[in-house]
Amino acid sequence: MKHFNEEELIEHYYGESDSAAEIKQHVRECAICGAAYLALSRDLSEIVTIPTPARDANYGEQVWQSIRDSAAPYHAAKKQRFAWFRLHPFGGFATAVACLLIIAAAFFAGRKWESRNPPGPAVANNTSGGDTGRERVVLVVLGDHLDRSERLLVELKHAEPSTEAPMQAEARELLSANRLYRESVKQAGGDPTLTAALDHLERVLIEVSNEPAGLTQARLDELQKEMNTDGLLFEVRVLRSRVQGDVEQKGSATTTTKGVSI
Amino acid sequence: MEGNDHAIIRAVLAGEKDAYGALVARHSQNVFRVAFRITGDEADADEVVQEAFLRGYQRLESFESRAEFGTWIYRITVNCALNMISKRKVEATYQIGEETDPAQHRVQVADSAASPERSLLSREIEALQKTAMRALTATEKTAFILRHMEGRNTTEIAEALHIAPNAAKQAVFRAVQKLRRSLAPLRVTP
Repeated sequence: MKHFNEEELIEHYYGESDSAAEIKQHVRECAICGAAYLALSRDLSEIVTIPTPARDANYGEQVWQSIRDSAAPYHAAKKQRFAWFRLHPFGGFATAVACLLIIAAAFFAGRKWESRNPPGPAVANNTSGGDTGRERVVLVVLGDHLDRSERLLVELKHAEPSTEAPMQAEARELLSANRLYRESVKQAGGDPTLTAALDHLERVLIEVSNEPAGLTQARLDELQKEMNTDGLLFEVRVLRSRVQGDVEQKGSATTTTKGVSI
Repeated sequence: MEGNDHAIIRAVLAGEKDAYGALVARHSQNVFRVAFRITGDEADADEVVQEAFLRGYQRLESFESRAEFGTWIYRITVNCALNMISKRKVEATYQIGEETDPAQHRVQVADSAASPERSLLSREIEALQKTAMRALTATEKTAFILRHMEGRNTTEIAEALHIAPNAAKQAVFRAVQKLRRSLAPLRVTP
């Protein structure tokens, strides 16, 4: 008689076994497997589902309002630009012909241009690629900074007085970097949301790193309340995800540029 | 319902940003439920809900019309919740020392018909269950919650966690085995 192991019984319990009928029959006849399945069922039925706190009917609206400002509208024009090609019965054919004509024109124009203007030194062609690469490095570093800051804020949110020392050291380290990034973003006339968030973050970092006698529980509570660390944490998360998106975009842009230059 | 979701998505992509609010309103309760079950914390779950819907909005162009928005946002939520619990190592350490905190027992639903011994036992089981859940890895915990509490099948769990179906199955097995081992001390032998 073939006995069933625990994994097979777990699979059967959740109704995902391929040999459900066979197992059902077996646990009825075999005392060992029957007892094992009974114990498994009892254990799993004792694992209670955590009751979910209720959210009122306006919860969805509240969520939407909290993220609304961070959601940039999609541009209708961008989506509708190719609508004619999709809707017109000869749209596909017309598109193909138009593409062929453009490619042919570009090819002959290129040949003409090349014969009149000989190509410059190869180094000059790499400038834009270099800029994209540099920009990507900056974004990666900024993303890393936001990631570290996010971790510190999470730590701060759940901190105990005993965790002050490592947190303060980390805050001091982040503070100098944060000042640099904030100034750079401001000077470059960059994203005002990013500047505001870095500014807010700096104030929290100053508070955490400059508390002379370490952070007491009361001071931690006060700090969390005063600084609205929850709101800041969310802001940092949003920015980090946006920066990550930009890094990915720059990455793919670099790849494309390389492909063209080869 | 899903057909309506698709119409809303088309409107959002055509530039009607506020139409997304209707999608958020429609799916926020489900999203909150799964976020809460995975994170185990109300405030964290609220943050996960916000992050999931914002991510959903930002990636709406990649949403395939054949898919269901509810399933799609559910997967995003699971990922956001997983990220959240992975980043809370400090909190996990903090909570392990709080097993006897009476505040953690507030969610207990008292059974008025049960004997005092039975009540005490279920309280102990629940406290032990919470400790045991914290001992699971993020993937094991999430896989188990999706399987046991959310009633999702292996394929759905695998898709939500971006892992192979066999890995999802193994994660559930490991979680069940660990939980059973942890709950064994409280097992009453007849």
